[in-house]
Amino acid sequence: MSDTTMFLIFCGALVLFMTPGLAFFYGGLVRASSVVSMMMMSFGSIGLIGMLWMLYGYAISFAKPVDASFVGIPGVLGISLNQIGLTQLVAVHDTSDGVDLAFAGFQGTFAIITVALISGAIADRAKFGSWMLFAGLWATIVYFPAAGWVFNFKITNGVVTEGGWLVKDVGLLDFAGGTVVEIASGASALALALVLGKRFGFRKGMHAPHNVPLTLIGAGILWFGWFGFNAGSELAADGTASLAFLNTLAAGVGGLISWALYERIAHGKPTAVGAASGAVAGMVAITPSCGFLSPMWALVLGLAVGVLCGWAIEWKFLLGYDDSLDVVGIHLVGGIFGTLFIGLVGQVGGTAVGLLQTGNAAQLGKQAIGVIAVGIYAFVISYALGWVIQKTVGFRVKSADEIAGVDLVVHGETAYSEADPRWSWKL
Amino acid sequence: MDQGNTAFVLISAALVLLMTPGLAFFYGGMVKAKSVVSMMMLSFGSLGLIGVLWVLYGYAISFANGGSKTFIGWDGVFGIDTSFIGLGAQVEDALKPSGAYPSLAFVAFQATFAIITVALISGAIADRAKFGAWMVFAGIWATIVYFPVANWVFNFTLADGKVVDGGWIVKDIGAIDFAGGTAVHINAGAAGLALAIVLGKRFGFSKGIMQPHNVPLTLLGTALLWFGWFGFNAGSEVAADGVASLAFINTMAAPAAAMLGWILIEKIKHGKATSIGAASGAVAGLVAITPACASLTPLWAMVLGVLAGILCALAIDLKFKLGFDDSLDVVGIHLVGGITGTLFIGLFGTGVGLLQTGSWNQLIAQAIGAFSVLFYSFILSLIIGFAIEKTIGFRVKAEDEIAGIDTVVHGEEAYAFGSDRG
Repeated sequence: MSDTTMFLIFCGALVLFMTPGLAFFYGGLVRASSVVSMMMMSFGSIGLIGMLWMLYGYAISFAKPVDASFVGIPGVLGISLNQIGLTQLVAVHDTSDGVDLAFAGFQGTFAIITVALISGAIADRAKFGSWMLFAGLWATIVYFPAAGWVFNFKITNGVVTEGGWLVKDVGLLDFAGGTVVEIASGASALALALVLGKRFGFRKGMHAPHNVPLTLIGAGILWFGWFGFNAGSELAADGTASLAFLNTLAAGVGGLISWALYERIAHGKPTAVGAASGAVAGMVAITPSCGFLSPMWALVLGLAVGVLCGWAIEWKFLLGYDDSLDVVGIHLVGGIFGTLFIGLVGQVGGTAVGLLQTGNAAQLGKQAIGVIAVGIYAFVISYALGWVIQKTVGFRVKSADEIAGVDLVVHGETAYSEADPRWSWKL
Repeated sequence: MDQGNTAFVLISAALVLLMTPGLAFFYGGMVKAKSVVSMMMLSFGSLGLIGVLWVLYGYAISFANGGSKTFIGWDGVFGIDTSFIGLGAQVEDALKPSGAYPSLAFVAFQATFAIITVALISGAIADRAKFGAWMVFAGIWATIVYFPVANWVFNFTLADGKVVDGGWIVKDIGAIDFAGGTAVHINAGAAGLALAIVLGKRFGFSKGIMQPHNVPLTLLGTALLWFGWFGFNAGSEVAADGVASLAFINTMAAPAAAMLGWILIEKIKHGKATSIGAASGAVAGLVAITPACASLTPLWAMVLGVLAGILCALAIDLKFKLGFDDSLDVVGIHLVGGITGTLFIGLFGTGVGLLQTGSWNQLIAQAIGAFSVLFYSFILSLIIGFAIEKTIGFRVKAEDEIAGIDTVVHGEEAYAFGSDRG
C-alpha cells in the first residue's frame, strides 16, 4: 500500500476524465450539425494516443540515458527500448509499490488531452481520418519528445541533475505543463487554423453555441479533472500539492469573474460561455505556475488572464485566422502568460525567483526560452504535418459537406433526433 | 488500520457509484426522446432499491463464510451470515477495525457493484418496461442471482497467495476474475438476454430504425463510466500497490484499443466511424478488461481491447439475425465482452495462460466460471421475468409504447423546449 500510488491512480483517472470534458466543452460551442464530429476528435485522441503512449510514447518521453537500451541524444530526443510496451515497468509490478507504473498512466492522460486540445481550432470542417493521422504523427514528433524536455527529470538535493534540456540546461520552471501542454497545443492550433482556412461565413457573432449547458458540463468536468492535473503533478500528496490544489481554485475563480466582468464592460452582458472560458483561461495560466505562486498571486494571475484572454479571442477576427473555439486565444495566450508570470513573481520552495521580487531577470529569461522553444517547434512541425496531409489525403471536407454539416457526412450520425421514424405518420 | 488504504477503498466506491448515473445517461441518450426518463429511472431505481437491499441482507449473503457460527446455508454456494444482517457486525468493527481498512468501507465498495450490475440489465428492455414491474424484478434478481453469484466470485480468503476459503468458482474451480467479468458482466448480459426474450420485440424493430435521440448524453455517460471504472478495476485490489497500478493502466489501454477496433469495423462494414460506435467500443474494452485487468501486460490488454471491440461490434448485429430485441446491446457488449475477457485470461494471462504454460487448466476453469454464471443467471432471469409478465405484467400496453412511456409511466417529459410561452 503506497499513498503516492493511490494519489497518482486517482489523479490519473481525474485527468483522463478531462478529455471527455473537453469534448463537451467544445461540443456545446459548435453547431448542432457538427457536435458529433467535434466530440469524436477528442474521443478519437483518447483511443489513439492512449495506445501510442503504451506502445512507445512513455519510452520516448521518459527515456533515461543511463539505461543500457537508450538510443538517441540525451535530453533532446531518444527512446529507452526496454520500456516499449511498458515492459520494464510491468516486469516489476508485483514486487514494487506501483508508483512508477501509476505515473506512466498518469502521464499518458496528459498526452491524450494535449492532442485533443488542438481540435478546437478546426471545428466544423475537418475530416476524421485526417485528424487521426495528424494526431498520431503530432504526438510522436511533437508531444512525446517535448514532454521529455519538460517533465522528464531527476532531482537530487533540490537540484535537477538529469533530464530534458529545458528543465535541466535552461532551468525552465513549468509545474504541470504550461509549455508542453498549453503552448504546444495552442501553437499547433494556430498552424492548423491557417492550414485549413476559414469556415464559410467566418465573422464575429456568426457562430453561436448550440448547447450552452453541454459547454458548462464540460467546463465543470475540466475543472474537476484539473485538480488532478495540477496537484497530481507534484507526484505526492504533500504541502506543494496542496498549494497547487488551492491555486487551481484561486486562478480558476479569478479568471471566471474577470472574463465575465470584461464582457460586461466591453459588450454590455456577461455570458455563461464567457464565464466558462474565463475559468478555463485561469486554469491554463496556473498550470505552469501552480507550485510556484502564493494563492494571492494565483488570484491576480487568474484575474489578469481572464481579461487578457477575453480580449485575445478577438484577434482572430482582426488577423483573419479561424481558430474556431479559441485554442490560441485561451491556451496559447494563457499558457504564455502563466509561464512568464513565474519569472515575475514566482518562488521555489520559499525562495523568490521573480523579477519583481529580486530585480533579477534571469528566471524570466529562462521562462521566455521555454515559451519560444516549445511554441516555435510545435508551430513549425504542425504546419508542416497539416500542410502535407491537406495536400495528400486532404484535411478539410468538401464545401458542400461543410454546409450540409459534417456529422452526417463524416460520421453518418445526427446528434439529436426528436421525431420517432416508426410512427411519424401518426404525429 | 491504514488510513491510506481506507481512503483508497472509499474513493473507489464513490467512483463506482457514479457509474450507475453514468450508465443511465449512456442508455438514456440512445433511446427515443419520449422514453429517456423511463430509461434513466430503471438505473436510478436500482440505485435506490439495491442500495437498501445490500445494507439489509445483500452483504450478509454475498460475503457469508461457512466458518462462522452465525452462518446458515451451504458454504461457498448459498448461505447467509445472520450477524451481518443490517451490517451489525460491520458497524461494530468500524469502531475498532481489525483489518487494513474497516469492513464497512468494503461493504460500501461492493454495494456499488451490486447496484450497477442490476442497472446494466435494463438496457435490454428499453422503451417498453413498466417501472414497478422492473423494480420487482430488480429486487428478486439481486436476491437470488447477484448476491449468491457475488459470493461465488468475490468472497475469498487468501493465505500465502492461495485461495483457502470462499465461493466455489474462485476456490474450487480456481477461475480468475479480478473485478467481475463473470459476476457483473456475464451475469447482467445473460439476464438481459432473458428479459429481451420475455418482453419481446418493440414495434418496428429493425436495423437502423432506432436512432439515438441525444448523442452528447450518451458520450457523457461513457465518460462517467470510464472514470468510475478506474475505481471499479483498480479499487478491486483494495490496496494501492503495483497490482492496482497495473489494473489502472490496463483500464486505460484496453478501452482505448477497443474504441479503435470498433470504429475500424464500422469503417469497413458501413463506411463511417460513428461516435456511438466509439462509445460502445470503449465500454466493450472496459467490460473485457474487467476480469483480466491484473492478469495481463498493457500490450496484451490492448490486444484484448482490439479483439473485444471487433467481436462486440459484430455481435450487436446478432439480435437482428436471431430476432431478440436486446435494445441497447447488453448481450452484444456485456455478455460477449465479459466472456471474451474471462476466457482471454486462460489463453494469454501472465503466468497462467495456455500460451505461456502450455496447460489448458486455467482456460477450462475460466470457461466453467463463465458458463455456470451465464446459465444460472439466464435460467433464473427467464423464470422471474415470465412470472412477472404473467402476473402483474412486465411490458406496457401497445398504445402506451406508441404514445411514449415517459408520460404514461412517469408523467414526465424529458425536454420542454419552446413550451414556456405556450
